[in-house]
Amino acid sequence: MIEQLKNIWQRRELLWYIVKFQMKAENKNKVLGFVWSFLDPLLLLLVYIVLISIIFKRGGPDFPVLLFIALLSWRWFTSSLNRSVNSITSKAALVQSVRFPLAILPLSGIIIGFFDWLFGFAILVPMLFVPRFEVAFTLNILWLPVLLFIEFVGIVGACLLMAVLGTYLSDLGNIIRFLIRLGFYLSPILYSIKDVITSERLTRFYMLVNPFAGLLESYKNVMIRGAPPTEYALVGTAVACVVFLVGLWYFSRSEYKLVKAI
Amino acid sequence: MLEVSDLGIKFKMGKRRRSGALAFILERGSRNRQRPSGEFWALRHVSFAVERGETVGIIGSNGSGKSTLLRVVAGVYPPDEGKVSIGGEVSTLFGLGTGFNQELSGLDNIYLDGIMIGLTKNQIDGIVDDIIGFAELGDFIDMPVRTYSTGMRSRLGFAIAMHSDKDIVLIDEIMSAGDAAFRQKADAEMERIMGERTVLLVSHTMATIERFASKVIWLNKGALAAMGEPKGVIEQYLAASMVKKP
Repeated sequence: MIEQLKNIWQRRELLWYIVKFQMKAENKNKVLGFVWSFLDPLLLLLVYIVLISIIFKRGGPDFPVLLFIALLSWRWFTSSLNRSVNSITSKAALVQSVRFPLAILPLSGIIIGFFDWLFGFAILVPMLFVPRFEVAFTLNILWLPVLLFIEFVGIVGACLLMAVLGTYLSDLGNIIRFLIRLGFYLSPILYSIKDVITSERLTRFYMLVNPFAGLLESYKNVMIRGAPPTEYALVGTAVACVVFLVGLWYFSRSEYKLVKAI
Repeated sequence: MLEVSDLGIKFKMGKRRRSGALAFILERGSRNRQRPSGEFWALRHVSFAVERGETVGIIGSNGSGKSTLLRVVAGVYPPDEGKVSIGGEVSTLFGLGTGFNQELSGLDNIYLDGIMIGLTKNQIDGIVDDIIGFAELGDFIDMPVRTYSTGMRSRLGFAIAMHSDKDIVLIDEIMSAGDAAFRQKADAEMERIMGERTVLLVSHTMATIERFASKVIWLNKGALAAMGEPKGVIEQYLAASMVKKP
């Protein structure tokens, strides 16, 4: 497993080039592609604001910014998962003619997803200064890189798992898409936990069952509410570490067999 | 330079092959599993050695294990049996541009493929003009590869493989690429690197094999059927497959 990490580190230039060229290939038209990188999250945000604030008349004054930070972080997770499922089979010709650490393929999707997060964040930052949203600025914002790192660790583990399973199971993409949709409504993105659950015990149960919930609430706390992360972020941290180790172990074990299974 | 001893490559059939999760569940329920299981050996008991500077032709009918052998040398498949020892770096772009990203320009693909086979950016900077010149792509080098003709794609792939400066070059059915003029150029390039690099050449064109190879390996159903002087081995192969020599 350590060797796996070493191999990836040795080929980091390759990883970087794959990321760079993949982004270039996706934004075929340079200017338009760049603009869409910003418009995409903004339009997504607008859809949910129309749905929740205007149609259902829910959510407080800070709802748009709370939603946005949670949405960006959730999107990083889901887009990485979606990419990783067929990350190896879609590059079959390459995988079958050159020897390189295959983990680079799902990893490149995660990094591209993080760039999307950054583009979205660039839009969020000016929104934080809109007085209407009542954002509390405190030093707790320094927790943000920590939360991002925890999420990154978990995403890497999950994506390595999905990259292997997706190579064997051709319909894993369909299953994942369904689970992601379900997860979206079951996680505190369109709502905050205190809006829907009042009982302390139920909150604790929910946070333990959904490891992503503590992370999402922590993102909102440190960015918008000026509060430290919730203690339930520890659940997410623990799960992220376990998923990372399992994913890395399983991937290292299966890497060679994968090429033959394509 | 390259030593293969008692090499065996095994593929699993059935369970481990790619299929749907839904299919898996349905098959469980129906109890009527028709999928074949077991394993088959794409290569077995294959041994040979290649000296530095030798050009080795590999022949055999479809499915005889030629491409599998190249993939083993490229390091893609680890041996299930036996040993492969390689004394040098391998240029592994034998797929002739099959790994190209369709949306990227030819130039970007040169860099991507170069990094892929382990060159550094500086090394690629040094050879990129030669590659473009050799592939005769002109202004097309800045166009997406999806706009290329098959010949253009092969030419670019061939040019990258030839200029990568690796000790061992793997070539899979490359000589049929391009028009007459390019083939002449490619042949000349082959002659230039012969003796200098070690080349493994897979082809169904016996004339190509006879012209370049100093030794020929004939694979039949994953086993080494014969090895030795090009003329003799090719004759045996053609006799066995009952094809009249052109």
